[in-house]
Amino acid sequence: MESVCNGESTSCGETMKRLFLCLLLTGPAYADEAADHFESKVRPVLVANCYACHTKARKGGLRLDSREAILKGGKSGPAIEVGNPKDSLLIQAVSRTHQRLKMPPQKRLAPREVTALSQWIQQGAVWVESPSEFFQRQVQPVLKKNCISCHGAQPKGGLRLDSRQAVLQGGKSGAAVIPGDPDKSLLIKAIRYQHEKIKMPPKKSLSKSQVATLVRWVREGVSWDMAASPELAGVELDAKLRDFWSFQPVVSPRVPRVAESAWNRNPVDAFLFSQLQQAGLKPGKQASKRVLLRRATYDLIGLPPSRQQVRDFLADDSPQAFEKVIDGLLASRHYGERWGRHWLDVVRYADTSGDAADYPVPEAYKYRNYVIDAFNQDKPYDQFVKEQLAGDLLPARDDDQRWEQLIATGYIAVSRRIGVGPLNLRHITIENTIDNLGRTFLGLTIGCARCHDHKFDPIPTADYYALYGIFDSTVYPHPGSEKQPRRRHFVYRIGQQKADEMLRPFQAELDLWNARERKKFREFQSFQNMKVTTPGRSREIVWKELQVLREQRAEVTRKFPAMEIAYAVQEGEPHDVKIQVAGDPKTPGPQVRRGFLAILGGEKVAAEVTGSGRRQLADWIADPRNPLTARVAVNRIWQHHFGKGLVETASDFGVRGTPPSHPQLLDYLASYFVQEGWSIKKMHRLIMLSRAYQLASHNIEQNLAVDPDNQRLWRANRRRLDAEQLRDTILSLSGTLDLTPGQRHPFPHRRTFFYRQHEPFAANYPSQRRSVYLMQQRIQKNPYLDLFDGPDGNVPFATRKATTTTLQALYLMNSRFVHEQSRLISQRLLSQPIDQKGRVKWAYETIFGRPAQPAEVERAVAFLEQSTIQLAATGSDGKKRLEQAWAGYVRGMISSNEFMFID
Amino acid sequence: MQSTRRRMIQSLASSGLLLPALLSEMLNGAPVADVGDPLAPRRPHFPAKVKRVIFLFMTGAVSQVDTFDPKPYLSKHHNQSNGKRRFYKGSDWKFRPYGKSGIEVSDLFPHVGGVIDDICMIRSMQNINGDHFGATIGIHTGSGTFNRPSIGSWVSYGLGTENRNLPSFMVISPGLPYAGGQVWGSDFLPVLHQGTRIIPGKEPIANMSRRSFSPQQQQTELDLLSFFNRQHLKGREQDSNLVGRIKSFETAFGMQMAAPEAFDLSGESAETHALYGLKPGSTEGFGWQCLVARRLAERGVRFIELIDGDTNIDSNWDAHAKMATYNKLSRNVDQPIAALIKDLKRRGMLDETLVVWTTEFGRGVFTPAPGAEGRGHHSRNYCSWLAGGGIRGGMVYGASDELGNEVAEDAVSVHDFQATILQQLGIDHERLTYRHAGRDYRLTDVHGRVVKEILK
Repeated sequence: MESVCNGESTSCGETMKRLFLCLLLTGPAYADEAADHFESKVRPVLVANCYACHTKARKGGLRLDSREAILKGGKSGPAIEVGNPKDSLLIQAVSRTHQRLKMPPQKRLAPREVTALSQWIQQGAVWVESPSEFFQRQVQPVLKKNCISCHGAQPKGGLRLDSRQAVLQGGKSGAAVIPGDPDKSLLIKAIRYQHEKIKMPPKKSLSKSQVATLVRWVREGVSWDMAASPELAGVELDAKLRDFWSFQPVVSPRVPRVAESAWNRNPVDAFLFSQLQQAGLKPGKQASKRVLLRRATYDLIGLPPSRQQVRDFLADDSPQAFEKVIDGLLASRHYGERWGRHWLDVVRYADTSGDAADYPVPEAYKYRNYVIDAFNQDKPYDQFVKEQLAGDLLPARDDDQRWEQLIATGYIAVSRRIGVGPLNLRHITIENTIDNLGRTFLGLTIGCARCHDHKFDPIPTADYYALYGIFDSTVYPHPGSEKQPRRRHFVYRIGQQKADEMLRPFQAELDLWNARERKKFREFQSFQNMKVTTPGRSREIVWKELQVLREQRAEVTRKFPAMEIAYAVQEGEPHDVKIQVAGDPKTPGPQVRRGFLAILGGEKVAAEVTGSGRRQLADWIADPRNPLTARVAVNRIWQHHFGKGLVETASDFGVRGTPPSHPQLLDYLASYFVQEGWSIKKMHRLIMLSRAYQLASHNIEQNLAVDPDNQRLWRANRRRLDAEQLRDTILSLSGTLDLTPGQRHPFPHRRTFFYRQHEPFAANYPSQRRSVYLMQQRIQKNPYLDLFDGPDGNVPFATRKATTTTLQALYLMNSRFVHEQSRLISQRLLSQPIDQKGRVKWAYETIFGRPAQPAEVERAVAFLEQSTIQLAATGSDGKKRLEQAWAGYVRGMISSNEFMFID
Repeated sequence: MQSTRRRMIQSLASSGLLLPALLSEMLNGAPVADVGDPLAPRRPHFPAKVKRVIFLFMTGAVSQVDTFDPKPYLSKHHNQSNGKRRFYKGSDWKFRPYGKSGIEVSDLFPHVGGVIDDICMIRSMQNINGDHFGATIGIHTGSGTFNRPSIGSWVSYGLGTENRNLPSFMVISPGLPYAGGQVWGSDFLPVLHQGTRIIPGKEPIANMSRRSFSPQQQQTELDLLSFFNRQHLKGREQDSNLVGRIKSFETAFGMQMAAPEAFDLSGESAETHALYGLKPGSTEGFGWQCLVARRLAERGVRFIELIDGDTNIDSNWDAHAKMATYNKLSRNVDQPIAALIKDLKRRGMLDETLVVWTTEFGRGVFTPAPGAEGRGHHSRNYCSWLAGGGIRGGMVYGASDELGNEVAEDAVSVHDFQATILQQLGIDHERLTYRHAGRDYRLTDVHGRVVKEILK
């Protein structure tokens, strides 16, 4: 509201008055709406397309980074005429209707971007001051004038006030501010003259309005003009990006008051509803209990509710009935199997390394199970992040916790290897780590900065190599490869030294065999290099001898004692690295200190730190003040409940990502998340108990015209079952789903790997367990999972696509799996002591989760009759015939849209 | 068959499940295209020279100096040292001139020599990676490290398909090449643009054969399915995903009808079989692959790739140990490849088809010891060739030095090669992009030059 009223420029005229009146009448919801529109639709367009020339560079005398500047305009006059987009220069230039001005010069804005700008001008050109603008315009002048002379380069009391980090660090008396809590902040107490000893500035107190400014500044998270910080002097951040929404501190927004407060179940609804109301959209009805139960159960555990669960829920009339369901599902062991899978998608988990021979990693499953367990235990997300990045460096209360945390660093170990000698391509492996950690935890595509400064986001190459140094100071396990088949640097639970001692006698024997094996292998290879004329020696003969030798050698490996081993990382020799110019390790540039991204504070690994810096990196990422970590995490949770994130590009919160549809809601969720101890399960409860989550998925004709894509969430999104849900459901219906947790895959013994690109590892281990436990290879995909858009161990998946293809339909019509399973389901059905109509009802309740209507029962009876007659003609006997007819019926059901989609 | 299809369509129509426009198209057998269908035929950037590509990929890296790039200097200095403890290795095969153009081809490829005047030979290819894995994905995806979508996926994404009853991108590959299925993977492009692998045998496309007891029973089951879907669609009519999925079963049924026919060679004459060197009834060898490729081309498949081997160096071109394996390998492919070109030509299809022959890289011209029988990897220069629509036949483009060890003139990178293929399909390689992870990706990344010199 403040910013709206501040726009007192004369040209606002009538429009502003009308707008103001409007605000008075409709209350804050409207202000939120206008602000949201500006934040989500207008500012991103300006930042991405105009700021390069129209901020400090002032091309044509024009700045576009404040409302005043825009109204003032440049050489050609005011850039906009409020309320009149058609006559606004800005619109004429971007829509290319102006004779001379055609902007941006290199590309055209998308029509929806032009519409957004027009709408913004039409509605009064509301400008919301960004935290960094607020800092520059109001806070910085106060600090400069009153504080910096003593708290600058020669800081009194050890306190500097010339960078955000310094302010947070504080001086001798402790932290100067507690972001979000002015009353407890030393700085505020001092300027209010409320502190016992410290009263600042000592000679003359600040004016009331100056105090108010600083109070607001602290309350709203201590924003800073990132580009102006002296600590960033060495790094040139593109000034235009400092205002980008995702880099601003998370500030818990005021929950809007909504006229129909009865509609709100919780704050989530208030945020959504104020937008719906503004757009003139009517939210749909509450979903039926059956629909809701099916939705919630698939969402949380990836399986459908049983008939009993449906009955229980229907019978429970208490207001807490759904809450009980949620709690029950969150407590289920299968919850982690579902949500762990979402995480494994993002971290592109696989059971093989991805080198040219795709070496298996028998221990990788421990990380997979760690992830599943972490979700089941509701491990606080910040802890979850820290363990995966630096679990080996965290304190542990006992050996079990130490081991668990070590396994967590499997996150880094599962980075993709490539080529025949990945040890020589370390920079590629590290790139894969950095690229993934950027997307996963921060929603940033840091990998782009390997060869050049990021083209769109404020990530200079120096930042990439500041992170690179951390991982170059880390020892990755080597899973073997064609050129170096022997594994290295895996972590033994009992410690390397003890393990070596224990294994020494076995290893000594194996070493002899290793020497023989390598000798024989070299002999085999020698046929490539010379003409061998010795009689009785040919390449084929030597190959056979080599196989025999390897078999004998394998006997020796079987004598090795069993050991607990993890695919995890360890600390290496800490060192900084030089920039690799254009991404080429052979052309070194200047050295960079290990540290974090400049845009996120740019902390460096302190001189006294003796480790790689992973521990510090983990802390920087998991810091509640990091503007991205919590936002990215809650957005992922939201996405899996609604089918789409508030930020649709869930792993890209950068300039090229999509801006949030509900920025304030996103920030509300992020602050709630941190406040509630980073609990993911509490987040589920908050989201699922909202009315928004419980809406029906039906269309509403009037809404379709305004918001056809359901951006504002006036109904639930209908979703297709994903690959795992489909397979797990079918197996559970036939009663053949093995619900025990998956363990190690039956890989051959780890000391017997001699895979080459010519003889790559390739295997398929059939299993009746849940799909999350299927062995996943990198070079060879699982054909079933692949067909239904399942995970890919090479590419991180932020969202699964849900394609509909002919080959999927053929799979349901003709695959062995579907036919076999429908036969088993029909057997199960026929074993029920009920009559034919009873069976139809049973099938509807079990497979569709609802009772059959009379017409449907009739249709079933007709189908069974016709099928039995047709089957008799093919000569199948009576009992089998019935089973076959029923199998066909079941197949129809599991091929149908009702089965395949969740309302 | 056709009547069953009609019956099914009519039953769907009577059940009110098909949209009228769609119905008439299906009954007329015309291609089904509708808005939002990612496989609907799309207009190219500019008028296309060809409608489709047949991409012949020889796996293992074919030696350039033993096939299409004669090097008399090497033969003359065979087994002599180059002064740096490396020894020249001449070819075991004779080269002779063919056709009006007189382009020299070795005795490994006499049949290809026979159609040389339709071929533009490139003797200056360069790949970005010297290992099979990286080079194989390099020539297919433009990236030699991490995988990207394959060229066939890009083409399917860019142009859609003319026949919804068959996949738009099909790969006949009896074995798995280096980098496995990534060779035809769609990576970040929607999975329906991924290559569908055809394995010679009873069921070339997975799940394409009816498993229900009789056609009639399957019909009854599909009727039941449409009953379920119709019930479900009530009140959900506007959801295009639901309607799209209903349609996918119709297309699947069409494919189940059309695909077996495409693979059924019984209608091909004895003369045609003989042309391809294929024994009637056999599905073995490259002859089957080439003849099926022609049939798929006739049926409107957009991108057809044939891969001749797997990762076993005894059954692919990776002749580290013995060049002699080439006798058998070339016998498998030489006649069928020439047959394919002749057959396309006599059916008037060569002008609208681009035939591409390539491998991942070439082989070294030196050996570490005199008399060594194999050759090592060599990615700095090798041969590929193009034939068909808009290509200048009987032409040699680019040249290697006198040893066949470096490009001497007009280097062609994998990106140039890919840009040229797209060009013939009417696609501007710089404009065919897909937004992924915050940036616009293209097949040729930031590289690629259309080799205009070889185009008519």
